[in-house]
Parts: sequence; C-alpha cells; structure tokens
Amino acid sequence: MVNSENTKAQMRKGVLELCILSILSQGDAYPTEIIEKLKETKLVVVEGTLYPLLTRLKNTGLLTYRWEESTSGPPRKYYMLTEIGATYLKELHLSWYELVDAVNKTINKQD
Amino acid sequence: MNKTVTINISGIIFHIEEDAYDKLSKYLSTIKGYFSNADGGNEIMSDIEARIAEMLQSKTSAIKQVVLMSDVDYVMESMGKPEEFAGDSQDNATMDRNEADFEYTSGEPIKRRLYRDGDSKVLGGVCSGIGHYFDFDAVWLRIALLLLFFFGGTGLLLYIILWIAIPEAKTTAEKLAMKGEKADINNISKAVKEEAEQLKKRMQKYGKEFQNMAANNRDVPRNAAEKTVDFLSDILMNVGRVLLKIIGVFMVVFGILFFLGLSGSVFGLSFLTDSNNGGDWIDLLLLDGKDFYLGLTGIALFFGTPLIIIIYVGIKILFKIKYTNRWVNLSGGIIWLIGFLLLLYVGIKTGSDFNKTAKVRENITVKPYETLYLKMHETPLNYDELNMSDKDEEGEKNYRVNHRDNDYMIGNNHGIKYLLGHAQLNIIKSQTDKIDLVIVKEAKGSDKHSATERAKNILYSISQTDSVLEFDNLFKITNADKFRAQDLSIILKLPVGKIVYLDKSLANVMYDVENVTNTYDGDMINRRWVMTENGLKCLDCEGLDENNSDEHEEYDSESHVKINVNGVNINAKDAQIKVDSNGVNINSKESKLTIDENGIHVDAKKKKNK
Repeated sequence: MVNSENTKAQMRKGVLELCILSILSQGDAYPTEIIEKLKETKLVVVEGTLYPLLTRLKNTGLLTYRWEESTSGPPRKYYMLTEIGATYLKELHLSWYELVDAVNKTINKQD
Repeated sequence: MNKTVTINISGIIFHIEEDAYDKLSKYLSTIKGYFSNADGGNEIMSDIEARIAEMLQSKTSAIKQVVLMSDVDYVMESMGKPEEFAGDSQDNATMDRNEADFEYTSGEPIKRRLYRDGDSKVLGGVCSGIGHYFDFDAVWLRIALLLLFFFGGTGLLLYIILWIAIPEAKTTAEKLAMKGEKADINNISKAVKEEAEQLKKRMQKYGKEFQNMAANNRDVPRNAAEKTVDFLSDILMNVGRVLLKIIGVFMVVFGILFFLGLSGSVFGLSFLTDSNNGGDWIDLLLLDGKDFYLGLTGIALFFGTPLIIIIYVGIKILFKIKYTNRWVNLSGGIIWLIGFLLLLYVGIKTGSDFNKTAKVRENITVKPYETLYLKMHETPLNYDELNMSDKDEEGEKNYRVNHRDNDYMIGNNHGIKYLLGHAQLNIIKSQTDKIDLVIVKEAKGSDKHSATERAKNILYSISQTDSVLEFDNLFKITNADKFRAQDLSIILKLPVGKIVYLDKSLANVMYDVENVTNTYDGDMINRRWVMTENGLKCLDCEGLDENNSDEHEEYDSESHVKINVNGVNINAKDAQIKVDSNGVNINSKESKLTIDENGIHVDAKKKKNK
C-alpha cells in the first residue's frame, strides 16, 4: 500500500522553507500570521511543524526577530528576513522555477 | 462542578480544569522531550507555548473563564502530534523517516536508551553511544578503554562485550531514543510525583468503589479486590525492577573483577614460569610444554566464558537492552565447550600418567663395622637455590626443613629446574648377620615400564667412608621426569649386636624408627643405639625419660596385659584374650572363641594358601 498522505506531507515539508521566506519577504510577521497564511493555502496541516523550522532558519542567520507587545496576549515575536535571507530566497526562487519547469516537463512527457 | 488549576503559560494566567491540565502538561512535556536535545530547543518550546497561550486566550472570554478539555483538544489538534513535527529540528536525514519506525505510543517523552552510534563511530560506535547515554564526550571513554587495554587486554574485551550487547541505532526512532530524555534527577522526581498523584487518584477511586459496594451489587468488591491486586503487583514490579538493576551492577562489577583475576593468573602463569611459583608446578605436572599451554587455554576458556556471559547479561539488565543476538549464546556455549574439552584432554592425559605405580629396590653393600655412624652429607644441597628461609641464623648448619612429610620443593640450578622430595630413613632388624642398606624408589607412570624408568631416574646418593655412612637429605627429580608422586625411603637392616650412632643432622630424615623404648625420632639423634632381638635399644640414654610409658601403653597394642575394673585384657603379638562385660573373647591368628549372650561361638579360619 502506498501512503499518498505521507508523500504529500513530505512534499509540503520540502517547500515550506521557501514559503515561509516568501511570506516574510512581503513584510514582517509573527508565527500566528505566518500560520494563517499557510493555512489558507493548505500548506501546513499541523502548526507544530512551523516552530522548529523558524528557529532553524533564525539560527542559520536567514531570519531575525524583534519583540512587540500585544494588547491581547503574550508579547509577539516578529520575524523578518536578513540580507542573507533575502539573497538566499532569490536563489531558492530561481531553483524552484527550474524545478517546477523540470517536473512539469517530466510529468507532461509521461502523459 | 469541577476543580480548576491556575497555570501560567508564556506569562498569561489561565484557569484550567484539572483533567484538561493533566492532558496539556503531558503534551507539553512530550514536546519538550523531543526538542530537549535539538539546537534552540528552549526557544522552540517558548514559541510553541506562546502560540498555545494565544490559542487558549481566543477560547476564553469574560463569560467563559475556564479552559476546558475540548479547548486542550483543539490546541493539540492544530499544533499536531510531536512526532509529526519534531523531525524538523533534527538534520534532514530524519525528514525521510517512516512513521512505522516510531515506537512512540505512550504520549510520554522518549526515554533515553543505550544504543551504539553508527554516525560518529571509531570502531563500533560503542563509546559514542555510551557518551550520548551519560552525556559526556566519548573521547574520555576511548582513552579510558585504551588504557585498560594494557591490563591484560581487559579494555579490548570489555569493548567487544559492549559491542555485542548494545544494538546499533539504525532507525530514526532508535536514534531519537539514543539522545532521548535523560533519566536525570528532575525527570525521576517528576515521574515519582506523577506516580504519587496517580496513586492518590486510584486510592480515591478504590475508596469510592468500596463506599458504593454496600449500596450496590456484589460485583464491585471483587472488582475492587482485583484492582488492589493489580496495584500491589505494580509495586512489586517496581521493586523487582530496582532489584534487577542492583543484580545487574553486581554482575558487571564482579564479572570484571573476576575476569581481571583470571587473566592475571593465566598471563602470570604463561609469562612467569621462571620464578618459583605455581607455573612451575603446572609445568611439572603436565606432560610437556604443549600441554601446558593447552591447559592454560582450557582454563581461560572454561572459566573466562561464563564470566564474559555474566558481564554481558549484567550490561543488558542495566541498560534494559531487549535485543538478543542468538549467535552470542551459541558461540559462547561452543567456546566454553572447547575450553572444557581442552581441560578434559589435558586432565586425562596427565591423570593417565599416574596410572601405575612401580617400586625399585637398590641394595647397597655396607662394609661392616661394630659401630656405624649415620649422618647427612656435609652440603647436601645449596639451600640458596631453593629460596628457602629456614637457614639457621646463627650460621650453624641446619638441615631441618620446616615442611616435613610429603612436601616437595622446586630447586633451580643454573636455570635447570628440578623437584626435591624428602627421603625417609628407617632402621630395622636384619634377618641375616649382614648389614644391608636398601633404597626403595617409587614413582607413577602411564604403565609399569615408564613408572619403573621414572623411579630409577630419582637421584639419591649414599656414601661410606670407613664407619661413617652419609645420606642425602633430599632426593632429586629432573624436570623432564615431571612430578609423578615420586617417593624414596632408605631401610637400614642391622644385625643383632651392631651399634649405630645417629647424628643430629638426621632429624629430618628419620621416619618413625622403631625402638624398644618407643623414643620419638627427634630424641633418638645424638645417641648410640644397639640392635637387640626386640629392636633398637639406647646405649646412652641416661637421664632421658622412657617417653611416658603410661601413655603409650594405651595405643601400643602389640603386647600388654591390663587388668582393671573393666575386666582383663591380654594382648600378645598374634593373640588377644579379653574378659569384660560383653563376655569372654579369645582371638588368635587362626581362630576365634566367643562367649556372650548368644552363647559359645567358635570360629576357625581356614588357612589361605597364597
């Protein structure tokens, strides 16, 4: 039995990094906002996935953050792209389009 | 009505129902378990907690102030199961892990287990695995093991045992468990607290059930009793687990200690054969050099294998390793069997060399003199060769050796080893009128012939200068002949009327020499003795007590007459007459007469012709 759910989850995980960086390139955001945007596009199924990823991106220097007080809850951690993050995202964009192109060609040939 | 607990998540205060709180705190500690070893684990945790606080906040309001079970369920659902997202904190290798790998079921953080770490290994990943388990740098362990290697190879052996006993972490689940939540004091106290809480709850539950019991049906008490039994067996299980750990520690520690002892003695025997110790004895007992090493190998395998298995099982108990390698048991058994067979072979081969006994008699003619002076050779042996400490301190020559009887010693003459034994001297009456000196040499061998050869090879010398007879005090056996229970005695047959003077140097050699006054060997020296019809009689024993004649009458059964309250007891050499409360009893060599409660009984033995 092939578990397609599993494969789909893996595919989503693969592009998650690209998506987070893209969202942040449009403006700073705190995790809940990022999650809401991702949920709109059904890229994230469980929220837990996001936090380790954000921390890892921050630790590798692609992201940084600042604290902002919230009127309704705990202080919010606003993430933003660093310069390295911005260049990294450009590279990812390029390779993403290449990949999509290549994959599309391959899939279409199969048809 | 429900009890609520007040909690603080990310600085926000919540009122939460007790059961919902239990679930949430378990969930959070599970996540924590996953990230405890990841980079920035604490940061991830606080991010997650902040998000949970936000979610819970959206679920409460001025009207609905309390967090309910359904709210916690919602949080857990949207956040996802820890095992679904924890992989991202690891390296990419964990991305492709299979859900099926995961043994995660309990909702508890993964308990740390001992595995070999194949990713950062030098040999088998044993050290790095143990390093993960105890949270220290594997380098120190590697150094320690390397140092231990110089103690009879213990380090290497220990490493191999660990290599076999500890499984390698292959799946992601195993790799996670390898670095899982450490069983430190915080964890333990947490576990104990949780356990106590649960116990309290259960007891309350039992209490309720017992209360209901009276009002409701009869099934409840039986049910409650069953639960009590379950509970008790839980406790017993825990006690058992602790005991098992203690046993495991003992097995490992004693296994290693005994193994060190064994390897020390085995290596000691094979390297130190030059010195005067057990190695020499084994060398003298066994047939030749090859058997010596076969025997040693046998000992090492026969006793070493069980010790290794003990250490192995101990390690498995200690670290709760369930994985078994069936080759271990099989090969352990085979190696042990090989050791056993080797020992058996060497044992039988050596034992068969003790099969037959042979005695060789050598007659030495002695020039007759009225008085013979018997003494030891001036320097019968170089005592320095023997490493013996009983040289007289005043410089006087003293041939007494502390160990009389059948003690053998090992001598060493310019690197050539030989065995030394004590000779025994006896003086008896000669049946002829000639002085006869007989040396009886005895040895064992696989057959009569080899035993005889061996007996003949015993080196011993007696020399006569005029009326002085000089003896060796010890007999020599060369190493090539081996120790085969060699023995040597000298019998001096003295005709009636001849006189011997026993020099004090003989004290060590004389063995139970018969005399008419029953004087002890030690008192016979330095005196002249004449042979009479009845045996040796002292010529210059004035002042010496006749060795407490009352006492020795008791055990001198050769000839005496005793009349006292018990009756009459007459003992002659070949006959005995006894009258006492049992009746009359007359015994002679050939016949027997008894009068007792059974009547008169006469028994004449038939003469046996041999």
